[in-house]
Amino acid sequence: MRIETIQGSRCPACGLTVAPPAPFCPRDPVAMTSVELEGAGEIVSFTTLHSPPAGFRSPLHLALVALPGGARFICHGAETRGLRIGSRVAIEAVNDVYYFSHLGALDRARLFWRRTGRAGDRVHAIARSLAKRAWKGRERVSN
Amino acid sequence: MREVWIAGAGITRIGRRGESLSDLMAEAAHAALRDAGLERPDAIVAAAMNPEEFVGDGNFASHVATHMGLAETPAMRIETATSSGAAALYAGFAQVAAGLRHRVLVVGGEKMTHLDTPRVSELIGRSIDPYERSYGATMPALAGLVARALIARNGDAPREMAQIAVKNHANALRNPYAHFHRSVTIDEVMDSRMVADPLRLLHCCPISDGAAAVVLTAERAAVRITGIGQGTDTLALRHRDALTSFRASRAAARAAFAMAGFGPERVDVAELHDAFAPFELISLEDLGLVPSGKAGRATLDGETALDGRLPVNPSGGLKARGHPLAATGLAQIVECVWQLTGRAEGRQVPARVALAQSIGGLATNNWVTLLEAS
Repeated sequence: MRIETIQGSRCPACGLTVAPPAPFCPRDPVAMTSVELEGAGEIVSFTTLHSPPAGFRSPLHLALVALPGGARFICHGAETRGLRIGSRVAIEAVNDVYYFSHLGALDRARLFWRRTGRAGDRVHAIARSLAKRAWKGRERVSN
Repeated sequence: MREVWIAGAGITRIGRRGESLSDLMAEAAHAALRDAGLERPDAIVAAAMNPEEFVGDGNFASHVATHMGLAETPAMRIETATSSGAAALYAGFAQVAAGLRHRVLVVGGEKMTHLDTPRVSELIGRSIDPYERSYGATMPALAGLVARALIARNGDAPREMAQIAVKNHANALRNPYAHFHRSVTIDEVMDSRMVADPLRLLHCCPISDGAAAVVLTAERAAVRITGIGQGTDTLALRHRDALTSFRASRAAARAAFAMAGFGPERVDVAELHDAFAPFELISLEDLGLVPSGKAGRATLDGETALDGRLPVNPSGGLKARGHPLAATGLAQIVECVWQLTGRAEGRQVPARVALAQSIGGLATNNWVTLLEAS
């Protein structure tokens, strides 16, 4: 699995990170600086449009994904089965259009080991991840 | 700052109308002028969100002023997307408060039903951030993202959202000017066609034609505008960190209550921008009308029903009175004036202080207005 790099910008004043890049921070009248963001993150929310606008096929899956570093990113997806708020997804670009895909357990593990450095951090991160999951399990998304 | 009063109010029947936009706006304007006992105002503030594309008319302030027989009265047009009517009220209020004008006619309208739904959706969708639009985001799509986040926070939200539609349809049954005159049940709402999962058809307001108008004056009248506040936020939804609360509503409420010198506890009746049912739940909390996290419970318990502690959307709201975009912010004011002066026949609630909240775009440019009976 290849992890996409997504171009973004960060505000030197308030720290807001946005993707795709923007010349000015939406909240401060200052120029933003370029940053590169890892194309994997957590689902903030998602929806499926059953009568999408002209030029899009129905059903159209849309998600808002929180990337590492805080930027939120809008993208398409092939499906939303099993998807929940908080689900880990990878982002891929196909012809400059971004798609999310639900990460399997193996993908998650690989990403996880790649990102956590020293052994101590790893243990800490595992504990945090487990705690977070137990918490998230309580708020099941119902439709 | 001079005190600003509402001397007259007028509205057209909302719904599918055969008349032109200028005819509808003239109908509402003449009704408001008649109600105020005024032949000519000193100035006109007109609101239409997108007459260029909905009906093909530009230079719209002059267009509509001339059409209603007031070509020699100074007129201007104001636009803040779906809250344009409320913004026009502010522009008129500012002119009177500053002493620049004495009597100002504020009129808003929109004509949309002659176009097909995809075209209307596309035109309204132009108020969305261009990048998000390039991914197919429409207003219902963004509201769907908001609705799912609300459900994740509170598992009972699907029933609560459905109850908003049930309540507002029930209120509209008593409003002769409303778009819909039919009741719906919770089950009908929850079984209606999926539009933007988890948002269903009966969670969404209809496409409507109509117009509304008020006459503002510096002379004492039955209702005074005690506070107006504007609040704004980023155009892009992805640039915000909260989906279940709108900064633009909170900021507008803060400004309006600061101007009025009182708090939300004095509000007796409210007209809120329920373009999508979850927005009424979010707005109740953003405006401080119910404690944070309690809007759903208050709705299911009937606190916001016509006979509740705080009746919300007695007119039927955007959901059932209808949402002719730039007319809506003023249609809310007309309902509040009627409630405060005992003229809301069939749906009258006891009220001295009324609040109207209008949302522009996906909560990028919102307004809160406070009115008090004299």
